[in-house]
Amino acid sequence: MGWVGGAVAVAVLPILVRNTFFLHVAILVFMWTVLGAAWNVLGGFAGQVSFGHAALFGIGAYTTIILFLKGGLAPWWGIPLGGLVAALASVPIGLICFRLRGPYFSLATLAVAELAKLAALNWEWVTNGPIGFLITTLPSLTVLGRRVDWEAKTPFYVIAALLMAFAILSTAWLRQSRLGAYLVAIREDEDAAEAIGIDTVRAKVVTLGLSAFLAGLGGGFYAFYFRYVDPDAVLNIGLSMEMVFIAMVGGLGTVVGPLIGAIFLTTVGEAVREHFQVGHLIFYGLFMMIVIRFLPEGIWGKVRSVLPGMRAVRHGAP
Amino acid sequence: MALLECRGLTRFFGGLKAVGNLTFEVAEGEILGLIGPNGAGKTTVFNLVTGFVRPSKGQVRLDGRSIVGLRPNAVARSGVARTFQIVKPFPGLSARENVTLAAFLRHRARSDAERAADEVLERLGLTHRATTLASQLTLMDQKRLEMAKALATAPRVLLLDEPMGGLNPSEVDVAAGIVESIRRSGVTVVLVEHVMKAIMRISDRVVVMHHGEKIAEGSPASVVQDPQVIAAYFGTRAA
Repeated sequence: MGWVGGAVAVAVLPILVRNTFFLHVAILVFMWTVLGAAWNVLGGFAGQVSFGHAALFGIGAYTTIILFLKGGLAPWWGIPLGGLVAALASVPIGLICFRLRGPYFSLATLAVAELAKLAALNWEWVTNGPIGFLITTLPSLTVLGRRVDWEAKTPFYVIAALLMAFAILSTAWLRQSRLGAYLVAIREDEDAAEAIGIDTVRAKVVTLGLSAFLAGLGGGFYAFYFRYVDPDAVLNIGLSMEMVFIAMVGGLGTVVGPLIGAIFLTTVGEAVREHFQVGHLIFYGLFMMIVIRFLPEGIWGKVRSVLPGMRAVRHGAP
Repeated sequence: MALLECRGLTRFFGGLKAVGNLTFEVAEGEILGLIGPNGAGKTTVFNLVTGFVRPSKGQVRLDGRSIVGLRPNAVARSGVARTFQIVKPFPGLSARENVTLAAFLRHRARSDAERAADEVLERLGLTHRATTLASQLTLMDQKRLEMAKALATAPRVLLLDEPMGGLNPSEVDVAAGIVESIRRSGVTVVLVEHVMKAIMRISDRVVVMHHGEKIAEGSPASVVQDPQVIAAYFGTRAA
């Protein structure tokens, strides 16, 4: 029931609300939900803490914008391809980084993100170096006989909502799948998981692939919505951190946690930015500390354990 | 022919020879006890056989097929399961979920895996603890769970690393009974254990290790008479 209600709310929101700032925040929330979900699949379910997801996000963003500007491929095709390229790139990354465990894995992913940023800065004939890319006009698109107005927020709202739905549904699928069960085993004890016949490397590489696909979708959407991509914008370490925070604040290893986390962090972020202009990150950091101290299981994790009737749900429930 | 066979198994950790040129066989349906003083290399042997540690030299064959160099999950798939001396349950999951995860190795559908898990829990007397979190179980039940997980992978050979360690005498009897019932169900058992009373009672044959090497092999009764074994445990004067 909750699912249907949520879907209806997302669908009617742009009809009721015409305020562009509000729609902009909603679009950001949806995009960050996709990114939080991307991180959560690997970090929350499988317990593999990546600090390098900006690389996957950036690969998606660059793929989408390069395919459009150099190949003439419209971004709505470029976004899924961005996800695909990020997923492909994640395979060698995973095979190398998953040789390491725990904090060593995390540090390796951090290095991957730095490498990706350096590559984007220096590989100029592909990435345009530090200058990056700018989309001046988006291609025209006609849906149901009406021409889409790319200056309005609604079309982006719809696309972001669809991407979010995809991210949440794939997380829900993962949770009930055998792979999802394997990931929980890996998170709990990797050696014990191997001992009962779970191919932990394969499970982790496949999961990273899904995670990368989602992160690449988010990156592709970013390029499409903001129409601007450069190394600092899409390969920033801050992006990796933001994905971690969203998944943690929402609730690690839960299906709707990333949405809750994105709602809180995006609104808190936008609100303090509005009021304080400079130094707003201090309040953002303070908020993070409070959550980590008092709600280590995340907001949704807490709600789930407090709400009557939800306590009995199995591990990794919604 | 032997079901499990180790030939010239050797493993160095730096300059230390943890296991040296160890050769032994386990016949189908047998309970083989692997004993030796602390640090003799017994657990390392399990790690070498199950792929957690690669041997520096030597062969491991299951039913004539080499399993050396396989990753642990592939060893489990081939039919060799193990338990850990320090139990490794998935602490945040219930006993039933723990065992179901192991049963996934042979059953792809969740309902099949759960049914198989329930059977194993029943056999090990854990049915009444099925919904308890693994971290909340008593040590005895955690040892049971450890064996249940290994059994749920439907192994041909089960390597048990101190299933009785830390148990009180009456629990030891229960655990020994479980090991015997596992053998009766057609699973070959290799048992590392310090509780001599139990190992002498239930093993068909015993291999004694000292400083990584085999110093004696034979029936439990003959091995305890062996001067080298007595020397290893109690010093040369006792022998």
